[in-house]
Amino acid sequence: MSLYAFSGAIELGLVYGLMALGVYITFRVLDFPDLTVDGSLTLGAAVTAVCITKGLNPFLALVPAMAAGFLAGTVTGFLTTKLRILHLLSSILTMTALYSVNIRVMGGRPNIALLGRPTVFDPIRALDVSPYLVSNILFLALVAAVVAALVWLIRTEYGQALLATGANPKMITSLGVNTHFTVITGVGISNALVALSGGLIAQNQGTADVGMGVGTIVAGLASIVVGETIFNSRRITTIVISVVLGSVIYRLAIAAALSFRVAGHSFEASDLKLLTTVLVVASLVLPRVRKSLRARSGAAARNGRP
Amino acid sequence: MLKIRGLSKYFARGTVNEVQALRRVDLDIGTGEFVCVIGSNGAGKSTLLASISGAAPPDEGRIVLDGTDITAWPEYRRARHIGRVFQDPLSGTCASMTIEENMALALRRGKRRTLRAGVTRFERGRFRETLQRLDLGLEKRLGDPAGFLSGGQRQSLTLLMATLVRPTLLLLDEHTAALDPRTAGLVMKLTCDIVEENRLTTVMITHNMQQALAYGQRLIMMHRGEIILDFSAEEKSRLTVQDLIHHFHAANPAVPGAISDRLVLG
Repeated sequence: MSLYAFSGAIELGLVYGLMALGVYITFRVLDFPDLTVDGSLTLGAAVTAVCITKGLNPFLALVPAMAAGFLAGTVTGFLTTKLRILHLLSSILTMTALYSVNIRVMGGRPNIALLGRPTVFDPIRALDVSPYLVSNILFLALVAAVVAALVWLIRTEYGQALLATGANPKMITSLGVNTHFTVITGVGISNALVALSGGLIAQNQGTADVGMGVGTIVAGLASIVVGETIFNSRRITTIVISVVLGSVIYRLAIAAALSFRVAGHSFEASDLKLLTTVLVVASLVLPRVRKSLRARSGAAARNGRP
Repeated sequence: MLKIRGLSKYFARGTVNEVQALRRVDLDIGTGEFVCVIGSNGAGKSTLLASISGAAPPDEGRIVLDGTDITAWPEYRRARHIGRVFQDPLSGTCASMTIEENMALALRRGKRRTLRAGVTRFERGRFRETLQRLDLGLEKRLGDPAGFLSGGQRQSLTLLMATLVRPTLLLLDEHTAALDPRTAGLVMKLTCDIVEENRLTTVMITHNMQQALAYGQRLIMMHRGEIILDFSAEEKSRLTVQDLIHHFHAANPAVPGAISDRLVLG
């Protein structure tokens, strides 16, 4: 792997790490498989791109992007709580609707180019650092800030109620928490982070595209399960950091797979979604297989003894 | 204190499977009263409790708690005034959260969840003191997930949590039924201590007639969605399990098999 590919993988790992943190809030904290993210990543990118082309400061452009993501999340939350639509289906409905919304946001076009426009990277580029590091420096700072904010949030009364909503809704309702509120706001916060990630990705790659969000949920899940498998911990700080590290490791693995070449055959970039799906399925199933293997070998050991 | 008027509840209403779980139930419970509710399966005991807690809103009737009509209140809003312990020991706590986190959630029952710290150092000290009374060593395990505890330990913890903020009304839904007899005895003793200490108005469902006779000041028997017997403390003190069975048959001549073994043997 070249230095360029390596630094690029870290860059993607960090920026998609923000998305993975959002997915962590729904998937692990709220126990809510949320496919809205496939649409809200694009939504964040589209809103950011439109704001920048309208002359808004690229940092400030991330604020309406996050607000739009939050709103998209609350729609999913509303569908599942107030209208009692199955959570997975609610998120699919919002995701589908967002495809149309995103094209509307971009003024009827499927993409917006940001080449030559100001970006959040300009101030760092002005510091005259290596071009490999520009995005990484900014993303690292942002990821650190978001990790700190998320750990703080989960430790608040509200955050604890979020955790309990995912773990035992019956119990937390009996303790006076309106789970409709925690689900709606929780999914909102999650999608705000995903949209922030989308806005930064658009600025980094210089374009917002209506198809860029496809497979976001699977990449997010991959990051979470890779992080959990490697840094098995119950401490909330470690868990949150491991989600970001999982995202970085996942992107490095992809870069490695792309540079892998056997007898003239190699992976294409378009194969990645398939590879990722296999990876996620494997990491979701492996713990169970390991457990049953252990149980079997334990039984064999016991039977072996007279 | 608790005033229930004409409470009815249907399941699958309007279908061929329609069941009326509560039939115009009237019930008055005085402040500080400890009421045991018995009855066979499907008698409507749990539905009555669920109607009071808001988990299953009634179709007809009114529920007035402490002078306030709470019939239309959602479950989470009623929680401000009602403490609950469930039959399943896994229901009352979050397995993945620590003992202190669970207690902190309970300490905020009925309060707004703000962006202040979820558990404070001051509270930790208070939890340690509260847990000491259980004599289970839990005060040294504040940081352990509740999932590490046994069923009896979790049920004891749930009981403490339900009463951490003094509830106007305490609802116990067969909270010892899933425990072994010895543990059930311990949890029942803890229940009595806490109820007496705080003079809590309590409604306890039980399947166990002996338990129903041994605890509380009043005994209610339900059958097919109605309250068929209501004994005061004085009447109750003279009752035996045999009397109860006799009363039950007298009220239901048509259903000789209505008393299950479980009702008698617990």
